[in-house]
Amino acid sequence: MSIIEVKNLTKIYPGGVKAVDGISFSVEKNEIYGLLGPNGAGKTTTIKMLTSSLKPTEGTAIVNGKDIIKDSLAVRKTIGIVPQDLTADEDLTGFENMYMFAQFYDLSRAEALKQIDKLLDLLELTEAKDRYVKGYSGGMRKRLELGIGLLHNPEILFLDEPTLGLDVQTRTRMWEYIKNIVKAMGVTIILTSHYLEEIDALADRMSIIDKGKIIITGTSEELKGSLKGDIISIICNSQEQAQALSSYPDGIEPPVLKDSEVRLSVENSDKDLAKIFKFMIERKVTPLTINVHKPSLDQVFIKYTGRTIKEAEGGEDARKTAMNLRRLRA
Amino acid sequence: MSGLIPLTVRELKKWYRSPVFFFVGLIQPFFWIGLFGSAFSGGGGAFGSIALDNAKNYITFVIAGVLTTTALFTGMFSGINIIWDRRLGTLSRLLASPISRSSIVFSKVISSIARIMVQVVILIAAALVIPNGLEFANGFTLFSAFVIVSATLMIAFIFSSLFSLIAVKMRNMQTIFGISNLVSLPLMFASFALFPKAFMAGWLESVAVWNPVSWSAEAMRNVIINGSAISSSLMYSTLGYLFYLAILTLAVLVLTYYVTEKEIRE
Ligand SMILES: Nc1ncnc2c1ncn2[C@@H]1O[C@H](COP(=O)(O)OP(=O)(O)OP(=O)(O)O)[C@@H](O)[C@H]1O
Ligand SMILES: [Mg+2]
Repeated sequence: MSIIEVKNLTKIYPGGVKAVDGISFSVEKNEIYGLLGPNGAGKTTTIKMLTSSLKPTEGTAIVNGKDIIKDSLAVRKTIGIVPQDLTADEDLTGFENMYMFAQFYDLSRAEALKQIDKLLDLLELTEAKDRYVKGYSGGMRKRLELGIGLLHNPEILFLDEPTLGLDVQTRTRMWEYIKNIVKAMGVTIILTSHYLEEIDALADRMSIIDKGKIIITGTSEELKGSLKGDIISIICNSQEQAQALSSYPDGIEPPVLKDSEVRLSVENSDKDLAKIFKFMIERKVTPLTINVHKPSLDQVFIKYTGRTIKEAEGGEDARKTAMNLRRLRA
Repeated sequence: MSGLIPLTVRELKKWYRSPVFFFVGLIQPFFWIGLFGSAFSGGGGAFGSIALDNAKNYITFVIAGVLTTTALFTGMFSGINIIWDRRLGTLSRLLASPISRSSIVFSKVISSIARIMVQVVILIAAALVIPNGLEFANGFTLFSAFVIVSATLMIAFIFSSLFSLIAVKMRNMQTIFGISNLVSLPLMFASFALFPKAFMAGWLESVAVWNPVSWSAEAMRNVIINGSAISSSLMYSTLGYLFYLAILTLAVLVLTYYVTEKEIRE
């Protein structure tokens, strides 16, 4: 049986915002399940319902065999959470934060200390453990949050935007920490993100979620496979040449012509590129640039929503990051 | 109530590590004493003493009221801390862990009581050392100690819990400050905390009789002024005040427990 079974989960906030709109999915034991969606898609709201901090308006979910509504306390005992916000207490040290949370679970003092040591080591925070959290960098804080979520060896870990507000390097290192934890602890992870690369790098299976609805579910390969083939975009020397190129007959979809650019959809760019070159030489087309787009989650998102994930976010991403940074510094 | 101890430890650590908060809390009682001591230093003399319920001087009269109002104002902060936890997202994480809801609020209440008790000790010590200050003219008995400690504990619990409850139900800082000010000033002035009954308008006195600030102030005042010479009728009225406070404490405890278990939201 699946470790998480979500059925028709819906949340309408007071004021009428339908943040989550009848979603259903299931998560298998020991997999990393990704929820990918732009800002405001309803990811955090979904996580909050699954972790029993928010009552669904409709539907329910079984988490680790327990109903999130009827059996919320039992659910809370077996799950770990790393929330989107930084919640550790700045006036305490990293160790003190961890020790406080450890006491919330049925761990003996010795077990708690052992577990804290192990996690500090895994997350490379041992040296900083007796420093106040005020003095931690953004990446260290996120790692501490991760550690707090894992104190009681949870069966399931909910990671809500684990790298929000981090720079690219720190983000990739965070991925390593997450992978190491999965290896070391054998925990099922629900991961939300609006970074395509993040979900692509970490998740075994994923659902793309937009405006409170799941638009498609599958493995990264399956989703990309649903996009037929690769796209090769060629910018030609002149509009006439582009015109000539756009009669290329072997695409899987009709070529798209825009000014001096032609977009060809082909089954497999590795094989088709040679054919295209041959065709260009025959038609005396001299390309300026050639770009090959392998299928990406971004293209998947475009295909199912008609817009890129960046467009879907508008300026909100930058604003949120700025807000988070301000909070970090305050 | 799982979570109560670790959460209380957290609050206490935050308190003594925050120098400003800590020292303001320590200095505040001196302000009270200085303010009231000098404002009413004209007291004394036969008439003054009678008006002051036979206290030797105004400080001896007012100290019980100052102790009580200190509990009132420090109690306000226990609500503010809940708002901060909500704002920073800490509250939502606490709510997602398997601790009892009420332990979140009661940890604030307990640490608030601890702060108040420290202030009370300093306040009494300060009042004792200043010139023309607090005088236990009729001695200090075990009964005096019992009354002062239990009245302070109960009044501290009552206000810390009530202000926390406001913070549990309200989201907005401004609203909390507004409500806190709205209730704390009348509580302080419509009571026997700072002014002798003799100076009070009749209608105000009949309101003040119902005010827990009066109960606490009067109970402590009775033992501070009369010490071992306390008459049995005054002793009974003192025990009566403690009894009212105990009933109110119990009611507030139950209310706080139920409201937070049911209503606290991130
Ligand atoms: N407490 C609330 N009251 C009313 N509306 C809310 C509340 N919280 C979230 N919303 C709304 O619900 C929708 C979904 O929000 P949610 O936070 O779940 O999105 P998200 O996918 O986590 O976005 P982000 O990537 O920005 O974290 C948004 O339109 C948001 O404005
Ligand atoms: Mg979110």
